[in-house]
Amino acid sequence: MKRTLLHIAVATILAAATLPPVQAQDQTPPKWSPPRTADGHPDMQGMWARRGTQMAEANAPKSPLSEFGTTGQPYPTVFNTGVSTPQAAAALANRPSGIIEPGNRVLPWRPEADAARREFLSHMIPPASLKYVEASARCVPPGLLGGDDRHPYQIIQRPGSFVLMYEYNHVTRVIHTDGRPHLGPNIRLYMGDSIGRWEGDTLVVDTTNFNDKTSFSQTIPFHSEVLHTVERFTMVDPNIIDYQLTIEDPKLFTAPIRIAGTFAAAAKGSELMEFACAEGSQTLPNIFGFGLFPEQ
Amino acid sequence: MALGFVLGTFLLAIPVWAQGPARAIPRTPDGKPDLNGVWQVLNAAAWDLEDHNASLRMPAGQSVVESGEIPYRPAALAKKKENFQRREASDPVEAACYMPGVPRATYMPFPFEIIQNPKLITMSYEFGHARRSIFTDGTPHPDGFPDFWMGDSRGRWEGDTLVVDVTNLDERTWLDHAGNHHSDALHVLERYTLTDPDHILYEATLEDPKVFTRPWKISMPLYRRLEKNVKILEYECVQYIQEQKYGNAKPVVGAKP
Repeated sequence: MKRTLLHIAVATILAAATLPPVQAQDQTPPKWSPPRTADGHPDMQGMWARRGTQMAEANAPKSPLSEFGTTGQPYPTVFNTGVSTPQAAAALANRPSGIIEPGNRVLPWRPEADAARREFLSHMIPPASLKYVEASARCVPPGLLGGDDRHPYQIIQRPGSFVLMYEYNHVTRVIHTDGRPHLGPNIRLYMGDSIGRWEGDTLVVDTTNFNDKTSFSQTIPFHSEVLHTVERFTMVDPNIIDYQLTIEDPKLFTAPIRIAGTFAAAAKGSELMEFACAEGSQTLPNIFGFGLFPEQ
Repeated sequence: MALGFVLGTFLLAIPVWAQGPARAIPRTPDGKPDLNGVWQVLNAAAWDLEDHNASLRMPAGQSVVESGEIPYRPAALAKKKENFQRREASDPVEAACYMPGVPRATYMPFPFEIIQNPKLITMSYEFGHARRSIFTDGTPHPDGFPDFWMGDSRGRWEGDTLVVDVTNLDERTWLDHAGNHHSDALHVLERYTLTDPDHILYEATLEDPKVFTRPWKISMPLYRRLEKNVKILEYECVQYIQEQKYGNAKPVVGAKP
């Protein structure tokens, strides 16, 4: 119990400090050499807090959920364990964050796609039907950007795979680095199919096979099945993993988008807790007036 | 002579693995049995742990309970029978896609992956992308934790067997689709023994004095999934059940999420 209370206390302090966005740093190779796993790759295993990856575009339409206050969520957050070490928290102030390409953060929308998402947003509050209920309130797996980064992450490495576990919605991404190909094109997944490879000390993760049912953010409530992402994980010191994400979705955008963020070391002794979503949520019974069990 | 020749031919035809001593099990660098991989049961325990006949969308199965039947207290047996009658509407896994709990997650008819490192063994289940962390770092169950759908698991090695102590299990899970149930006092002791490179003997002892007259045990093999490039895919049960129940429903006027 003591540990849980510590999580909440530290997370509250972090949440109160707003982190100003800064420009991308130059790409000089790091001098520091990371610890290594037995197979010779940088050892990134441990608990991490992800920061800065929000897809916050310039000139965004108003979030239909903004009336629900600072969490932007129409329901209370139960667990709040996104903690980081003091060193990591300090380092975050100088880290690149958010959309770094295009530099002005105006996303290269196709006009018809921008119109479609504005139309979508106009039906969300009150929701016109199930599909307009905000994704996290439906417990939809978060995709690569739709999660709640107040929850921590854990990295486990094995020969042949790199495992990224989200506390949020208990997602587990087993990223194979054994040279296997992507799944066949007719298999479509909420979290996509991730294949990794090491380029020097950087893990490069190529993800395809997405379905079109996850969201990028509260104001970008969908993407298409042709979404293709490339993530780059580079450990730059014991407390920081540099995280870069390139998004290509030619049905939405005319050019790739690059996002920068950070995995910052979490406090020692923290553990992933269970995140039960559908088991506890009353959102859909409240909206539709009935639950999943006859007695509800 | 002729008979001996025929027998000899048969012997030669038997695969090498069936003739020699048991194949050595794989081990991690720290010398423990290496449980990493994708595993799945081949039985009908998810529908009913005990002996049962087939019915629509339910295969028949022999009991996986060592003593054959679950030793219920009388009131708990009555509740089990009531659960059975209303199982289509009330089984938390089938009606609402809730996490199956332990041990039910193990014998769902879906694969799961074991991700092993020295201090933490993670089990990642395809059904509903449920997951549990088994801490093997010597830590005890924390004081004051709430109950979890997948419980709190602390593991240790007894020789070559992984022994997992599971507490803090939410009383709302069922043990199978037949309505076998437990209370918040359930304590599960699991044993995972790699008997050869491709089989784990899975045993679980269930203790719950509010519901059962004595501890009882289930056992079954887990089979390694050997397909080339096999991986855990998605069975997003919650999304499918929402679509079925609410896909054509109209929101209540004035409702806010």
